[in-house]
Amino acid sequence: MILQPAALALVLIALLVSGLGIYAGYYGVRILKRWDPASGSEGQLELERRTYLISTIMNYVLGFELMSLFLFIYTADDLHTLFTGAMCAAGTLAVNSFGYPALLLKIVNFLLAGVWLIVNHVDNRGYDYPLIKVKYELLNVVAPLLLLEAVLLVAYFAGIKPDIITSCCGSLFSHEGGGFSGDLAALPHRPMQIAFFSGMALTAVSGVWFYLKGRGGYFFSSFAFATFLIAIASVLSFICLYFYELPTHHCPFCLLQAGYGYVGYVLYATLSGGAVAGLGVGVLMPFRQVGSLVRIIPVTQRRLASVTLVCYLLFTVIVVWKMIFSALRLG
Amino acid sequence: MIELSGITKTFNSGLSNQFTAVADVTLTVNPRQITVFKGPSGSGKTSLLTMIGCMARPTSGRIFLHDIAAAVPFQQEGADSLEITSLPERFLNEIRRSTFGFVFQQFNLIKGISVLENVMLPAYPTGEGRTDFRGRAEGLLEQFNIARHAGQRVELLSGGELQRVAIARALINNPAIIIADEPTAHLDSKLSQEFMEIVGRLKGEGKSVLIASHDPIVYDSPLIDTLVEMRDGAVIASRSCR
Repeated sequence: MILQPAALALVLIALLVSGLGIYAGYYGVRILKRWDPASGSEGQLELERRTYLISTIMNYVLGFELMSLFLFIYTADDLHTLFTGAMCAAGTLAVNSFGYPALLLKIVNFLLAGVWLIVNHVDNRGYDYPLIKVKYELLNVVAPLLLLEAVLLVAYFAGIKPDIITSCCGSLFSHEGGGFSGDLAALPHRPMQIAFFSGMALTAVSGVWFYLKGRGGYFFSSFAFATFLIAIASVLSFICLYFYELPTHHCPFCLLQAGYGYVGYVLYATLSGGAVAGLGVGVLMPFRQVGSLVRIIPVTQRRLASVTLVCYLLFTVIVVWKMIFSALRLG
Repeated sequence: MIELSGITKTFNSGLSNQFTAVADVTLTVNPRQITVFKGPSGSGKTSLLTMIGCMARPTSGRIFLHDIAAAVPFQQEGADSLEITSLPERFLNEIRRSTFGFVFQQFNLIKGISVLENVMLPAYPTGEGRTDFRGRAEGLLEQFNIARHAGQRVELLSGGELQRVAIARALINNPAIIIADEPTAHLDSKLSQEFMEIVGRLKGEGKSVLIASHDPIVYDSPLIDTLVEMRDGAVIASRSCR
């Protein structure tokens, strides 16, 4: 176990988030089983009041969850000096078999938590609990994943020993490195550039169309999520090469370091923020006709679409700026 | 119209000192009428009016407000009734401000500020322009013949004047329903009669007035339309006085 303040904070956050997630999930099951808005029974009124408490708790808890993703990658980057062979967070995460699964799960939970917060925000604005069942069904998906994340994080930090010799990012994210990360790094840069800019363009066009006309929400949401995945692959395939100005260094974590102006945080924050907002547009689509939300959802969706467009635009501008002004030229 | 369905209010539920203030009350209160809730102290009148006025929630049961859609800005178009017991607090704030006016037994006016400011207080959170509601407040003080006291601090007024300031304050947001809890408890007979005359005028203007009282001047008044008798938290009789 490593007793580093940020690592302890992350473990505490994970335990807090998963504990309260399970508490909320327990009431979620009760709500799904017993919710009956037509009834004025004591049990129903008690559940209605309980939902305010759970909603407030989960707002804060999942807010912490969103921030903890960035604290986790910061911590992983910060700890790399302890391990022989590690040059950045890539090496720290590879010190045992729980690091990368924990990171992947944190990304998944980040997206789910973001979507839950959007659904919760909209539900709270309706006066008749319009999305209560959807909200708690989603929470019952998120809660076990939060628990699994806590288990992985505890296992990861508990299994860290300072004398471990780990791999450096150069070997983990190299064409010859094999594995999923190696495969992503080996993706040919020209097709990936076409896919990346096409994805951004389609997201932008469908987003502007949705903003102006209020139609095509599913298309926009799908494009936004697909572009998120393509953009992550593109970071490994070609984007990071322009920042490092090295044609063979594909590490997505070195971007988080001071030597590159911490640009990785901006890139990943804009990408993940845009993806969550884009997913939120799609998730809200089926509920546009719900009586008490008829005026609320379209406004919220337009705001979310704006967030995605601004985030993705910022991401693209940074990438294009670096592609133009980098000393590296890819053939 | 206000519809109450199986309203129960229990304090300290599950504890040794559990107390049921209102027990399974089902009742319909007609609009644009004066409804008086009569009963001894502890009969549940105040608790019931508090729940109708969105200042407390029942332990069980539902309260529906019918035909007040215009006063509830978030209500969906076309809906003619609203169930209020399930609403989150911020929605209840909107309803309290726009739909109900309250006259309390102790008047609850704010000492140290003027009569005019006291009357204007409930209008500040609505976001309406100050000039607009100031004009309305001055009109109400004029209507209740206390305009000459507008600039005075409330602690300098007599009981009857305080009562009229409290009524003016209850009316500042032009509510559809006025709730008065033991409004004549601190008034002599003449002032109590005067209060009932004002209530009669409000009814004439189309307001619904709900009064909790055990004062015969109130419940024997020829102006009232419905008398609801309560005891031990339950409604024991409800009759039309017309």
